[in-house]
Amino acid sequence: MNGALAVSRYTLIEISRRRLLLVFFAIGAVGIGGLGILLKVFTSAFVGSASFGGPPGSGPTAAQMEKLTELSFVSNLIGVLGLFALLIAFAIGMTAIYHDLESGAAVAIFSKPVSRFAFTVGKLVAAVVAMIAIVGLLSLEARLVMFLFGGGLETALWFESLAGVANAVTLMLLVLALSAWMNNIVAAIVGFIYNGAAGVVVTLHQQLVSGNLGDNQVLHAGLNTLYWLVPHALVSSAPREIVRQEFEIFAANQPEGAPSVDQMVSSIPGPSGAVDIIWWVFVVCVMFGILYFAVRRRQV
Amino acid sequence: MATVVSVQNLRKRYRRRDPWAVDGVTFELEAGQAFGLLGPNGAGKTSVVKMIAGLLRPDGGSILLFGSDPGNPAARAELGFAPEDPDFPKFLRAPEVLDYFASLLGLDDEERKRRIPETLAFAGLDRERRQVRQYSKGMKQRLGIAQAILGRPKLLILDEPTADLDPLGRRDVRALIERLKESGVAILLNSHLLSEVERVCDNVAILARGRVLKEGTMSDVVPEGSTLEEVFVQLIEANQPQRDHLPSFISERQ
Repeated sequence: MNGALAVSRYTLIEISRRRLLLVFFAIGAVGIGGLGILLKVFTSAFVGSASFGGPPGSGPTAAQMEKLTELSFVSNLIGVLGLFALLIAFAIGMTAIYHDLESGAAVAIFSKPVSRFAFTVGKLVAAVVAMIAIVGLLSLEARLVMFLFGGGLETALWFESLAGVANAVTLMLLVLALSAWMNNIVAAIVGFIYNGAAGVVVTLHQQLVSGNLGDNQVLHAGLNTLYWLVPHALVSSAPREIVRQEFEIFAANQPEGAPSVDQMVSSIPGPSGAVDIIWWVFVVCVMFGILYFAVRRRQV
Repeated sequence: MATVVSVQNLRKRYRRRDPWAVDGVTFELEAGQAFGLLGPNGAGKTSVVKMIAGLLRPDGGSILLFGSDPGNPAARAELGFAPEDPDFPKFLRAPEVLDYFASLLGLDDEERKRRIPETLAFAGLDRERRQVRQYSKGMKQRLGIAQAILGRPKLLILDEPTADLDPLGRRDVRALIERLKESGVAILLNSHLLSEVERVCDNVAILARGRVLKEGTMSDVVPEGSTLEEVFVQLIEANQPQRDHLPSFISERQ
């Protein structure tokens, strides 16, 4: 256990000194702050005098517009946090183990009385802690910026941040595991393609669930099988809640016979359930197993 | 004397179609002995020591390190290994690297506080504040030797320990080997510097293409009136195809 702690501690020190991660963090922090301030300036300057071309009283009020801006901010924020979580996952995944194995540092480390299992656990703990720390700090900043808008979706944002970290951990583990077998750039490319393919499968599955892909049984069976084969992303209630609130602002102006808000948001992924979370845990365990197997059989 | 390492009929190859990198190497090393492993480039010396350190898996034969399999972490608790061309986590500084390895060795805080500054001073790195990525090859080699002796090993493996060192560094390593031998530490030395090996080693094995050509005490291997270098050159030349020593264009007039 001491070995894993030592590996973890010094890997964290190394990660904290990598310029690439600091650059990602700085860009993320400036991006989130800038996004919030720009939207706030925009609403303050234009919302009060906005006209939507309809008869007087038919458009959203200034308060509704402010709410729309906040929803837009949170929606963009989720995208930005997800993007930076992925970038950080790639940056950590490509370097945390690969450099030790390739540079020869592993020769000195593995000749000490530390097991490969303890080494792998230490590396993994450091990578996950670094990921949580960086995304956590960005989420904290996002939460502070949300005070500009009066708040209201904080819980959704926290859950979405958690889901973002969980999804980034899966991708990071995949890249870590691949980088123990192959060149780290090739590992990142494979991870990127896999992540993209998984995204397509999840989107298609959502369309299937909301009834947009007809009732072809072969298609249903195929997509359902694929969905449970790929490590699909965890989702919080935030994306659906944001779209719901946006629709509700305009609901009063909808013509008779228009689809209900529930129908309209059904194509947006709903929050992940217990089975999805168990599946995520299983995927993480499998990825760790692959990583450990690669480190264990590695001759340095 | 207690046997520290026992190597029996050791074999290793890196790919199925490759020739054996190590082919039937056998030797034993006892406490307080210094054993020199010699051979031309590609003879299999580094493969042998890496298998003893548990870094490579043998394809045949057996190794007992303090009576256990080197793959067992506990067997490596009393091993110090200074690799050829050493490297370390590149964003750490020398004291951090030693503290990292002290943690892996299970040294307590008191021992760390005592040993790390002394080891850094021995390696000439006590005033060095830069990260390892900014070190020269010689500085990395010094740090490699420092981390190898940090745990007060009972077996010290030195793989080309002086290749990148200046003359003062070489003198320090020679003094270190002699001091450790006196205190009962077994030394396994891989080196191309035959005069150095002749000076510090009790036993020697000469390898070529993975096989042991000659092995024994220094007096067995080197007859009186001869030097280790002469014996080495004769043995190697007799066991590998003759080569033209210089490319023909070198002798052409400009």
